[in-house]
Amino acid sequence: MENRSLITTILILLPCVTVMGADENDYYRLISVSTASAATESRSKNWKPAPDGLALEISGMDFLDDGRLAVAIRKGDVWILDGVYDDPPSNVTYNKFATALHEPLGLLQLDGDLYTTQRSELTRLRDLDGDDVADEYLTVAKGWGVTGHYHEYAYGPKLDGDGDLWITLNIGLGLKGPELKRALPNAALGYRQGRWRGWGMKVTSTGELVPVCAGMRSPAGLGANADGDMFYTDQQGNWVATNSLHHMRPGVFFHHAEALASMNEPGSTIHDVEKVPGGLPLPQALKEFKQLRPPAVWFPYKKMGQSATDIMLDESDGKFGPFAGQLFVGEFTQAGINRVFLEKVDGEYQGACFPFRLGLASAVLRMVQGADGSMFIGLTNRGWSSLGDASYGLQRLVWTGQTPLEIKEMRAQPDGFELLFTLPVDPKTAGDVTSYRMTSYTYLYHSTYGSDEIQVETPTITAAEVSEDRLRVRLRVDGLRELFVHELVAAGVRGESGQALLHPEAYYTLNRIPTGQTR
Amino acid sequence: MLESENIACRGKSVLRLLPCPLHWSSISLLALVCVLMCNAPIAAQTENHSTTAHDRVMTRSPFVIGFERFGKHGELPELQAGSLLIGELSCVNCHHSKDDWLQPKRGPRLNGVGNRLQQEWLRRYLSDPQVVKPGTTMPDVLSSLTVDQRAEAIDALVAFLSTQQQPFAVLKADGIAPVIHEFWKRGNRERGAEWYHSIGCVACHEPDADYETDEAKPSAIDELLEELDEEQIAELGLSAAARRVESIPHGDLPSKYTLRSLTMMLLDPSIVRPNSRMPSLRLTPQEAADIAAYLLGENVSNETGYENDQPLQQLIDRGRSLFVELRCANCHESTGVKDERQAKPLAQLDADARSSCFESPTADMARYHLDDAQRKAMLSILKGGVTPKRTASDAVSFRMLQLNCYGCHERGERGGVGRYRKAYFETVGHVDLGDEGRLPPSLTGVGRKLLPQALAAVFHPKTTPHRPYMTIRMPTYSADAVKPLLTQMAKADEVDRSKDDEVFSEPQSASIGREMVNTGCVQCHPFRGESLPGVVGIDLNDVTARVDPQWFHEFLFNPNELKNRTRMPTFFPNGKSNRPDLLEGNVDHQISAIWAYLKNLEKEPLPEKIEAARIANYELVPEERPIVLRTFMDAAGTHAIAVGFPAGVHYAFDAEHVRLAIAWKGRFLDARGTWFERFAPPAQPLGEQLVNFPLGPPFRADDPREYQFRGYRLDSKGVPTLLYKYGDLLIEDRIEPNGDTGLKRTLTIAADSSDAGVLLRAHAGKKLVATGSRAYKNDGGLMVTVSESLARAGTLQQSDDQQEWLVPLLIKDHMTIELEYQWRIAR
Repeated sequence: MENRSLITTILILLPCVTVMGADENDYYRLISVSTASAATESRSKNWKPAPDGLALEISGMDFLDDGRLAVAIRKGDVWILDGVYDDPPSNVTYNKFATALHEPLGLLQLDGDLYTTQRSELTRLRDLDGDDVADEYLTVAKGWGVTGHYHEYAYGPKLDGDGDLWITLNIGLGLKGPELKRALPNAALGYRQGRWRGWGMKVTSTGELVPVCAGMRSPAGLGANADGDMFYTDQQGNWVATNSLHHMRPGVFFHHAEALASMNEPGSTIHDVEKVPGGLPLPQALKEFKQLRPPAVWFPYKKMGQSATDIMLDESDGKFGPFAGQLFVGEFTQAGINRVFLEKVDGEYQGACFPFRLGLASAVLRMVQGADGSMFIGLTNRGWSSLGDASYGLQRLVWTGQTPLEIKEMRAQPDGFELLFTLPVDPKTAGDVTSYRMTSYTYLYHSTYGSDEIQVETPTITAAEVSEDRLRVRLRVDGLRELFVHELVAAGVRGESGQALLHPEAYYTLNRIPTGQTR
Repeated sequence: MLESENIACRGKSVLRLLPCPLHWSSISLLALVCVLMCNAPIAAQTENHSTTAHDRVMTRSPFVIGFERFGKHGELPELQAGSLLIGELSCVNCHHSKDDWLQPKRGPRLNGVGNRLQQEWLRRYLSDPQVVKPGTTMPDVLSSLTVDQRAEAIDALVAFLSTQQQPFAVLKADGIAPVIHEFWKRGNRERGAEWYHSIGCVACHEPDADYETDEAKPSAIDELLEELDEEQIAELGLSAAARRVESIPHGDLPSKYTLRSLTMMLLDPSIVRPNSRMPSLRLTPQEAADIAAYLLGENVSNETGYENDQPLQQLIDRGRSLFVELRCANCHESTGVKDERQAKPLAQLDADARSSCFESPTADMARYHLDDAQRKAMLSILKGGVTPKRTASDAVSFRMLQLNCYGCHERGERGGVGRYRKAYFETVGHVDLGDEGRLPPSLTGVGRKLLPQALAAVFHPKTTPHRPYMTIRMPTYSADAVKPLLTQMAKADEVDRSKDDEVFSEPQSASIGREMVNTGCVQCHPFRGESLPGVVGIDLNDVTARVDPQWFHEFLFNPNELKNRTRMPTFFPNGKSNRPDLLEGNVDHQISAIWAYLKNLEKEPLPEKIEAARIANYELVPEERPIVLRTFMDAAGTHAIAVGFPAGVHYAFDAEHVRLAIAWKGRFLDARGTWFERFAPPAQPLGEQLVNFPLGPPFRADDPREYQFRGYRLDSKGVPTLLYKYGDLLIEDRIEPNGDTGLKRTLTIAADSSDAGVLLRAHAGKKLVATGSRAYKNDGGLMVTVSESLARAGTLQQSDDQQEWLVPLLIKDHMTIELEYQWRIAR
């Protein structure tokens, strides 16, 4: 049988081998803290952890005040890891803090205690005697439906700017047998789901469970931005055209119609939906379904991943490179991480996403930022599929100090977009409209799995004006369309030393075209 | 066809190739090197090709693997050798014949050639196919043109081909199929080299001499060959095994393909090459990109050269008519061209003609650059006259020659992985399983072994490999491509198919079969995905659906008889069973019992030893401290908290309905489903003496109060105390074994102010029977005992369908209640 240190060595070496084209590894270096191949396929009925024991299928992560890393794993433990900052990480120690949790899918340290969401409750883990083992497993909140369907995952908690804890609840997928007996009786519109399935919930500091917003399919990631507003990611599937990022706020509906099963429950913030439109292009569906809101960011399928997961705010003030204050979003299937820029237009969030890093050892489920700015990445692909050679593990992404040439921000303007680059660009190529190509498209809102890009058009870039400091380019565009994704490929733009963009693609979800200057 | 000794692109040392024995003559190799390395215009080189004699020196003959490996060495019947060449060289596309064996391989589809192949390569290739792609089976159709005519024809043909544009397939992606945006740009050369050398490419194509394989034990036959001299080898009839097998050349790939077109070709060769000579190796998009990156090396082109070049319509039209005139259209499908131009039917060809496609072609004849052996073999067919009768066995071996199944598989003492190639065939994880564990299986007698549907499944793209421990992959083929194998294999192997109830006419019990497999089989075989630690082998799960029952019987009885040098031992040495204690040692009955067990394996328990190994991994066995598991349970719901104790008495609490739900004795729980199964099945108690507790919560009050579950606390011994609220009452509920006979429950109630409105629901059931002065037993066999004072205060209350034992409580600020549970359930 394979030996763990060998596997780890191989995986540490892997990122060093050359990948063709621009190399993300020159700017963000991967260190494998612990990764292991599973003996079987990630979707095998007989999946087994590697024979050396700890199945580090990371489903939640946070740092303790003393700098140690607490991780929740899918089989139901919480472990405390020390030595994770070592490079190479040859002396990591593992200490079991808690056990017997039912598929915990989040971990948060708050005032010295750890909080995690199990399938049926939000739990606070307390170590009363300081021996690094939890003594109390206290129920902070419960009361959402758990019919027993496997897809009813519960994620979180994450903390917002007001000090409230947030959790998100997966929708069930086709309940059967005894699961149906646990579905909501007399559910609205005849949908068969457990209570609050497909909802975003808030738990106040007094322990009250408050339903906030609905229509989630598989909200595997949530997180606050720099202003403390709470977001979640959703995954392509029924009703969900492609992966998406949403601002969670009261009374808002996102996609999945079956979440309306709880519409008439006490505390619901969604009312009076009589009919859900189906098979309409999103802009039309939004007109017919007044509670429906578009996502702040769409992640076009394949181009920007296939299953969005965690949200991590870069709070490092530059220790993690040039993207301070932006959000990073995990990508499960393609084993990568994407990046998001958000702005507010008319009081609503919208923005752009950009590729950031691929090549992780397995599916990315969780990310957390270390004190030195580096990103710790929790991996697990069991049950689905992902790229990479491991079935689970922990990797760390460290900025090398080299700044990649990237589109850092893409802002909507009344007549186009403004790009902000991480480094000064070459004015000749950046000022040439043929260096850019733009397409725009939207999606179908329907009950089937995912949507193609529809109503595709090619807006014309009429001018590209480079700012004096060469960091900004103002693109004037004919043919902007509200509620359409505007895909930009700036393949011709070069940096001052002639280098191409590390990632020339940017995808802006233009829900609203600003009327005045936005900055 | 692919090739790897591609000198120009990978910058490999030319000298490396020279010492290869039986490679093409050093002269032709040097000539090729000159051609590829010199920058002189191609036209100048083709001018040198004015004599046939010169041609023979400068170029290679068409490479047909079956002929090179066997035919040239006199190891094929004349009929097969000649037919093979006529088919692979697609003669019948022009010279019509109805003979099955002569049907043409045909060339690649050219419908998408305009966005797949590089223009410059195509130009050079057309000008002299055999020089630009040594070994190609495409003839030179321009050979009788003058230099000027030739240049003009190439311009026109290339102009026409540039119009043959076809979008690349769009790959389906979803949660289980990762497809990265523009994945063909993301290949990794090092990984590509690993795939190329491990999954089967080098069964046909040349390995890179610098590629280091992992250390593997040399094959037994190769070890023997190393010891022998040539004469001894010949004497032992091992000449074929000792011969280096030549590689199918793949030409100058970097000049030919773009990253994308090669990646897409590798991913699904059948789109461009429907003749199945290049099969699909079940690659993921990423693997295809990796291999393409490896094969193309550093000088990758992302453009074909047509992009900025719009040829004149006139030239395109000229190219289209040349495409028909020169009979390109006879072999190659293209868009918008239907015409073909036939030549004299095959039967009417004059084998002694002075001028032909074979020899000194004139006018519109194609030039094939055949070598003498090829010419001889093909002429024997042309001169052959009456076609002799072909057997099923001939049909199988002929198709295996065409598809080069022999590159991997031996059948009837022909073929198999060639000498010097075996090192690339490895066992995953380098477990030593001998040649059986790393080389593709022999196909001798496979028609007897595999049932027809199992044979068909082998070729299907969705079939998961039966030998997942091999790095080599079985390629996929369409049912049409392998039709002769599917329809003739059984006949060729003279199968007398019997059903299992005929073979095993006295059915035996599966449970005895389970005991039989526990004796031996489990040491080497997994059973439905489970195995003893470290065991690597074929899973016996669906074996009865795959193999013939008669074969199974014979193989088990004496494995070596059916499979030479197999590692499978016999469990019936000298025809006697190792287990005389079972079924009176009757061998037939024992094999029958094994069959019966395997046939029902989905439903039968795993073999005992495997079950024990599994339990060691997943069964929760409380030894020193209690073990808690939160899970789904049928009896305790979706908020279940199961607690197992070393004393062997366990319970599960339903935290949703705040009630003790079930208790049992003996073994506790198997956690596998909870820990690692995606579909989250309910956990089942493993022990016995299961007792369900009465429905409903522990307390009742007249005024409305709600239960609120608050979690649990572990004490220093790991025993949990469950915490909940009932209205304003804070309740601590500690349940633990009472010796090993039952449970003791301590309820501690704390109140802010005195509370007299609460009743303890001490017990309930359809019927409660008093047992002594302070206990009641219900119809489920559960007896509850309380303290004397509580018993005195308690009353029985009858409702519609049940009796309840209710005890009014007077809670001041604090109260402790003890309950004892005992049960004995008759099985």
